[in-house]
Amino acid sequence: MKNSPILTLLADRLMVPLLGTTVFIALAAAFFHFNGYPPGKIFVQILKGAFGDAFSITTTLGKTLPILLCALATALPARMGLISVGAEGQLYFGALAGTAAVLAHPEASAWLMLPAMLALALLGGALWGAIPGVLRAALGVNETIVTILLNYLAIKLVEYAVYGPWKDPSNLGWPATMAFPGTAQFPAIACDGVASNWALPFAVVLALALFVLVEKSRLGSALALLRSNPRVARLAGIRYAPHCIAVMALAGMLAGLAGIVQAANVQNHLQPDLSSGYGYVGFLVAWLAGQSFLRIIPLALVMGGLLSAADALQLFAQLPYANTLVLQALLFISVLGVGAARSKWRRA
Amino acid sequence: MSAMLGLLSVALLTATPVWLATLGETLTQRTGVINLGVEGQMLVGAAAGFAATYLSGNPWLGLLAGALAGMALSCLHALLCLVLGVNQIASGLAVLFLGNGLSSFYGTTLVDKQITGFHSLTHSAAARWPVVGQFIAELTPSVYLAFALWLACAVLLLRTQAGLVWRASGESADALRMLGKSPARWRLAGILVGGLFTGLAGAALSVDYTRTWVAQMTAGRGLLAVGLVIVARWNPWLALPVALIYGLAEALALRLQSLGMNVSPYLLGTLPYLVPLIVLLLSYRASRRRGAMPQELSGVFRGMA
Repeated sequence: MKNSPILTLLADRLMVPLLGTTVFIALAAAFFHFNGYPPGKIFVQILKGAFGDAFSITTTLGKTLPILLCALATALPARMGLISVGAEGQLYFGALAGTAAVLAHPEASAWLMLPAMLALALLGGALWGAIPGVLRAALGVNETIVTILLNYLAIKLVEYAVYGPWKDPSNLGWPATMAFPGTAQFPAIACDGVASNWALPFAVVLALALFVLVEKSRLGSALALLRSNPRVARLAGIRYAPHCIAVMALAGMLAGLAGIVQAANVQNHLQPDLSSGYGYVGFLVAWLAGQSFLRIIPLALVMGGLLSAADALQLFAQLPYANTLVLQALLFISVLGVGAARSKWRRA
Repeated sequence: MSAMLGLLSVALLTATPVWLATLGETLTQRTGVINLGVEGQMLVGAAAGFAATYLSGNPWLGLLAGALAGMALSCLHALLCLVLGVNQIASGLAVLFLGNGLSSFYGTTLVDKQITGFHSLTHSAAARWPVVGQFIAELTPSVYLAFALWLACAVLLLRTQAGLVWRASGESADALRMLGKSPARWRLAGILVGGLFTGLAGAALSVDYTRTWVAQMTAGRGLLAVGLVIVARWNPWLALPVALIYGLAEALALRLQSLGMNVSPYLLGTLPYLVPLIVLLLSYRASRRRGAMPQELSGVFRGMA
């Protein structure tokens, strides 16, 4: 079995994820140990808090959905070399636009309400994604900076709406819109005490659809060419601007969908703390998955579990919630570092 | 006249953290490296600076601790992109995420703590000077510190031999190698000095400006600074005017609120993001066409580095 090509390929494929995970666990253990928490116990608590019982699985799935969609919203532009960190803002702006439909006609029937709410949320997300796309295509403005600045702007706009014109007076000073009517919610699914809604399987289908669209059609090779060599792409008749704008708008739609599900089904109101940084977590997941739409699905579930466990850890171990921010950063650093070191070593 | 001066002094106070961060990132980018981690470095600087001031009671120690914390975090950027060869944008984001996480994690005990900060100059002799007296007295030590650093940086970078080599590593790594100098070493210096300045910027924010600590209190100022470097065309002299654009937008938002304008404070709160963003767009094309960008950076900005 020496030098079997399959084994070599397998080892090659698994080396970065395995080594990256090992480095991450070492760093995380060091972080917990340094702060006086026994790493072993914390790791067990994380597993329990993520997938221990029906309740934790329900929480995990609830967090998986926005992470999955935001990761897709990061990976799609990355396929043509755009580094977008804008899913957070697109999520907020999509929710803002979708909420407008609900507040305009709260008495509408579900058949009108759901499509209208969804359409506006997708449009809103698309708009927020298209802005950096247009700026990049027309002026060459760096999309990373613009997307992050637009995140802050979208959050401010949501704050304006829920502290101002959209605030429901019956909330007694709590900044939020009125509760969404049942007609404005995605139908629920329940199984063995685990609850979710139809948006989750829909998001998985979207991931598969993107996989087919990008990996199995000419679009994928067009995007790859635009990333690796825009000049050759232009010679081949593949235009940068329309691809850039369309890809960013489509990404915005995905994150916008996450936003409206979060407002309608999870929080039942539009409120300022709509997202617990799902846009950024989605960004990390997309990079950890190597921008592969298929690998994003399980990784989003793992990250959803990590976030759900963080809630539990805060309760049981008095560990500040911000520890997940540190863990996410350490995971990102491990995988980035190991990946780059490997390709450097290979080149040498 | 005095109303204008009043607005200007508020603008200067608000702009100072952004001014320092823009200056630091300009120094980094002139060596040919972009660091998006400024936001994270500012956050650890703000947390460490606030903690040191709280523990020692000395705001100068706070500024020093903040600057050192920012520099310590910037080592991660150096490790990832200079040693391991990670994409600079991704590496900067890693710094941003880690800085955000560490400062939020260790900062939880700092929330609601009180510090005294610097003594006010409003009752000093300078306040009685004609016309400008009140204006000068309104300003705080971190503004004067920023002013001194700004002069020193601009002169060192643009008027000295060492500054020439510093800029050369951003213009042509090959030329530097031919001179027998290592571009990587100068870039390391660029990243570390940038970390020092941005950490100081964060500490100036928490120790001198707000005098409180809240998680994620920089609220995008670090990223604005990265954008403002482009607006300033990588020229350290222009770091002051571009930071003032941000400062004036913020000061105007505050002023309009205190005048009892019937505009939502949240809507006004978008001004400090909108105005610099619009200026960034207006100046982007010009800054690229005139070749102000350090040559070694152009690959990163094309998204291919």
